Amino acid sequence: MNENLFASFTTPMMMGVPIVVLIIIFPSILFPSPNRLINNRLATVQQWLIQLVSKYMLSIHNYKGQTWALMLMSLILFIGSTNLLGLLPHSFTPTTQLSMNLGMAIPLWAGTVVMGFRHKTKASLAHFLPQGTPLPLIPMLVIIETISLFIQPVALAVRLTANITAGHLLIHLIGGATLVLMNINPVTALITFIILILLTILELAVALIQAYVFTLLVSLYLHDNT
Amino acid sequence: MGHKRLNPARSVSHPPFHLWGCGESDSPESEATRIPLSPTQVRSATPASVWTPAEQKPSLGAAQGSLNSQREPAQQRPLRLEAPSRSAPSKGSTSCQRGRSGRARLHGDRSERRARGPSLDLSSGTRGKAPRLKNAALLGPGVLQATRIFHTGQPSLAPLPPLPEHGGKVRLGLIPEEFFQFLYPKTGVTGPYVLGTGLILYFLSKEIYVITAETFSAISVIGLLVYVVKKYGASIGEFADKLNEQKIAQLEEVKQASIKQIQDAIDTEKSQQALVQKRHYLFDVQRNNIAMALELTYRERLHRVHREVKNRLDYHISVQNMMRRKEQDHMINWVEKHVVQSISAQQEKETIAKCIADLKLLAKKAQAQPVL
Repeated sequence: MNENLFASFTTPMMMGVPIVVLIIIFPSILFPSPNRLINNRLATVQQWLIQLVSKYMLSIHNYKGQTWALMLMSLILFIGSTNLLGLLPHSFTPTTQLSMNLGMAIPLWAGTVVMGFRHKTKASLAHFLPQGTPLPLIPMLVIIETISLFIQPVALAVRLTANITAGHLLIHLIGGATLVLMNINPVTALITFIILILLTILELAVALIQAYVFTLLVSLYLHDNT
Repeated sequence: MGHKRLNPARSVSHPPFHLWGCGESDSPESEATRIPLSPTQVRSATPASVWTPAEQKPSLGAAQGSLNSQREPAQQRPLRLEAPSRSAPSKGSTSCQRGRSGRARLHGDRSERRARGPSLDLSSGTRGKAPRLKNAALLGPGVLQATRIFHTGQPSLAPLPPLPEHGGKVRLGLIPEEFFQFLYPKTGVTGPYVLGTGLILYFLSKEIYVITAETFSAISVIGLLVYVVKKYGASIGEFADKLNEQKIAQLEEVKQASIKQIQDAIDTEKSQQALVQKRHYLFDVQRNNIAMALELTYRERLHRVHREVKNRLDYHISVQNMMRRKEQDHMINWVEKHVVQSISAQQEKETIAKCIADLKLLAKKAQAQPVL
């Protein structure tokens, strides 16, 4: 049981060949980008969704921030699709691996910081000191702000990893409990219900994508525009 | 003239290009070199592909014909070819004229020769040389293929084929209908279902598929998915269709607006043209107005002239009248003056006494009368 619990998070291998790259690339197949004006239903709905999300997400930024539109939209689509596909049985979710999330978070965060420092050096440096601090507290506060800045990418990555992994683990555990209780006590109907509710809550993993991108967005906003 | 007569058994390959000189083709030498080609010889000598270009050069209708005409014995070809040419000499013209007529038809002849393909003409032009295929490679099928135009642009610029209206039919949302049709001849209607059930039971019983915790999560996920799709699938499809309809409606509206605008412009133009047609009324009215104004001015001036002249004449008349009156008055005054001057004092007294006596008489008469 303990071994099986974490078995779904190991690198997926098929007869000794790691196919994790294929699994990461797979969700892109589900987003067709035809050259037509009038598409099939799938492409139409996806187009509409992307237009909606991008409209709301990029309305906050100025011109410079909106050059990140492609990056942000592909980020949200990727994380959303991989998380949702991970809910299917016997599937592997790449975003459960901290390595991948760090690989996504650190470059993006670093990009925003560097951009902020290049274009608005004084303003970026000024973020290290909140307004109206008493004089003796300044050194300590600067150190604390620096730490909080450097924790941002780690927080982004770990947040995503932890949420998705925890969700998967919970599903696994409760499924296991249901399995065991089926023989003992068919009041497992209740437990199945709990699984169902948990799943719907876990589908808020999609909301987590939004949380991810939103956080990134806010940081971008803060670094660029303020 | 015998050598000019039509001889079907003899010369086959008509050399069309050495008819310049008169009588050259009629030398017994050239005639001897004409070798009748049998059809088998002809067919073996040429690859079948060479026959095809005949269709590309239909310059001479009578002589070319189709592929079939080429497969006829070669003897008949010069028949068809030389008949029109020999018709001229049959009227009594010389071979020179035949040469000229041949020269006139040189272009056709040459193309006909080319179309014939294997013109193994051992004619005077190739005296002594080895037989060779003339111009067989010129119009091989290679030319045909080489001049065909392939991709002349980017494939992305080509018009896309239209999308089908409905997707492929599936049963149970997963398995295409073709699978059921595929199994239908052998196992009937229930075949695929029995296969599916059997497979599932086999996997379960042999524990190829193990029931674990994931089974329950799978059941819940798939159950939720099926529920959502069944409940909201149609509405989402309709929503997607509506989005597309809106797109098309927008463009259609633009198109209709453009058409309407152009139609309005056309109608305006037409009405303008119609107005232009009726413009002559305007000009007539203007012309009439001007004529009337001119007439009026003329009459007015005439009247003024008349008045002025009358004034002058009246002046003269009044001057004359006044003169006459003045003269009359003057004369009267003069007469009176002289008459008064002429009356002496005595005459005056006598006149007055007479008048008084008359008056007295009258008074008496008057008194006497009312008494009566």
